[in-house]
Amino acid sequence: MDMAIIEMLRGALGKVSGFIYPNELELQWSVLIVLYPYITGLVAGAFVLASLERVFDVKAIKPIYRLSLLVALAFLLVAPLPLNVHLGHPERGIEIFMTPHTSSAMAMFGFVYLWYLMVVLLMEVWLDYRKEIVEWSLSEKFWPKRLFYKVLTLGVTNISPRSLEIDDKLGRILTVVGLPSALLLHGYVGFIFGSIKANPWWSTPLMPVIFIFSAMASGIAGVMLVYMLACWARNVKIDMPCLDTIGKFLLTAIIVAFSLEMLESLQTVYEAEEHFDIISLLVEGKLFVSMILIQIIMGSITPIFLLGTVQLVELPEKARKIFYALAGTLALIGILAMRWNVVIGGQFFSKSFLGFTTYKMELAGREGLLSAIGLGILPLFILAALLYLLPPWEKTKESI
Amino acid sequence: MKDFQHLIRVVIIFAVALVGFLFVRSLLVPKSFGKLGHYRADSVDEIAALPLHYAGPDACKKCHAQQTADKAKSSHRGISCESCHGALLGHAENPKSDNKPRRPKEAEMRAFCGHCHERTISKPAKYPQVDLKEHNPDAPCNMCHQPHQPK
Repeated sequence: MDMAIIEMLRGALGKVSGFIYPNELELQWSVLIVLYPYITGLVAGAFVLASLERVFDVKAIKPIYRLSLLVALAFLLVAPLPLNVHLGHPERGIEIFMTPHTSSAMAMFGFVYLWYLMVVLLMEVWLDYRKEIVEWSLSEKFWPKRLFYKVLTLGVTNISPRSLEIDDKLGRILTVVGLPSALLLHGYVGFIFGSIKANPWWSTPLMPVIFIFSAMASGIAGVMLVYMLACWARNVKIDMPCLDTIGKFLLTAIIVAFSLEMLESLQTVYEAEEHFDIISLLVEGKLFVSMILIQIIMGSITPIFLLGTVQLVELPEKARKIFYALAGTLALIGILAMRWNVVIGGQFFSKSFLGFTTYKMELAGREGLLSAIGLGILPLFILAALLYLLPPWEKTKESI
Repeated sequence: MKDFQHLIRVVIIFAVALVGFLFVRSLLVPKSFGKLGHYRADSVDEIAALPLHYAGPDACKKCHAQQTADKAKSSHRGISCESCHGALLGHAENPKSDNKPRRPKEAEMRAFCGHCHERTISKPAKYPQVDLKEHNPDAPCNMCHQPHQPK
């Protein structure tokens, strides 16, 4: 260590307040780890929405069944990327599949991820689209696309009513199996935080449950906005009964997620254990804007108010659309803020409970803002490609 | 059966993928992995075969009895000789070898001692520490403090 490092450490002292341990100066989990549960949550939420139609027979949301599956798939493909970018050695990612250790939550859930991607989501999309894939493989004029569909048919062009019936039945079974898989996949993200004993901001068995419900809210809001945008872009009328139903489910998901979060906070306040002082300082200080203002007031209470108003007051179609769009956007921002408050907030305070550090996000680095934005919008490009290859609209038109 | 044909193909694809995975795994996972625990057993021998660099404190006192005795009475008694003088197995085996003991030069001495003695708030109050910027800024530490008998 030379004088330069000593000088650097002296400069770093200005970044912290109170007493912190030396290894707490720099936050280890960056904005990419904020993005990871956010994207995984969107997958789980979108899949739950799809399953409402398939398993629970909510007919009104049929127009967005396929769209939600494609949204889930697009985001699922990107979900592990923030982790790989954060770790900096993407080529080592495969090792958790090669030599998994049962004591590693990450390794075990790598298999849940694989199962969910390969067996549940891809299979379900394939089974649902098989009839069209066969038709497109015969009728498509653009040869690369035709070849793509041909490959997807696996060489079987039989779309007899009996075979389609089998597909439908199998798809239903897969959704029933997929639902717990989706919840498990997202629950594990909460589990990883919830099981960190040393950090009282994270260590609660409620963490996976809170993550699951906020995941549902974000996924439902995400699909709703994509649906509204897609209708607008295609110049098609929005199916209002469908949108109203999504709005109801979104309201339910936000209410449950918000209540659970508040219950957890109340419990912390009421128990007032030895870490309470530092946590109240955290919430009143460093997290005031991102938690009280953005997550709670803007991202939870306002959407509940907006969506609740739609339920209680009879509003014209146009106003409802504006309310839904606004509530969906705010909920998405609020849930991103919730992930931020959990991941970054949990690293702000020292394990000594006596001091804070700060987080200064890079702009262009590997774990910087631009990298996070890039990974955040990558699923939308994948979704656009999926919508081009597997347009979910055909069936929609029939059902309207 | 004809109506199940596409599903049979899916099962075949999954089976091929599984076999492929197991094959790739057999190529990628080192042979000795898992023999002793959740790691590559051969790495133990490989690490043991790496060249040694440190001689350990007992090697020094054979020749440097005075310094060892001085240090043993001082507050630096818990610090190994090689912590300050560098890894010296070569020197211990052959004092004429190129492996010479390191002695901090005057210019770098303040930074060197500062590793441990620069004042920071996280150190216990009783621990000897100075503000390098204020404490005789131009003087090398050993002008007043002898490292083997620091006071």
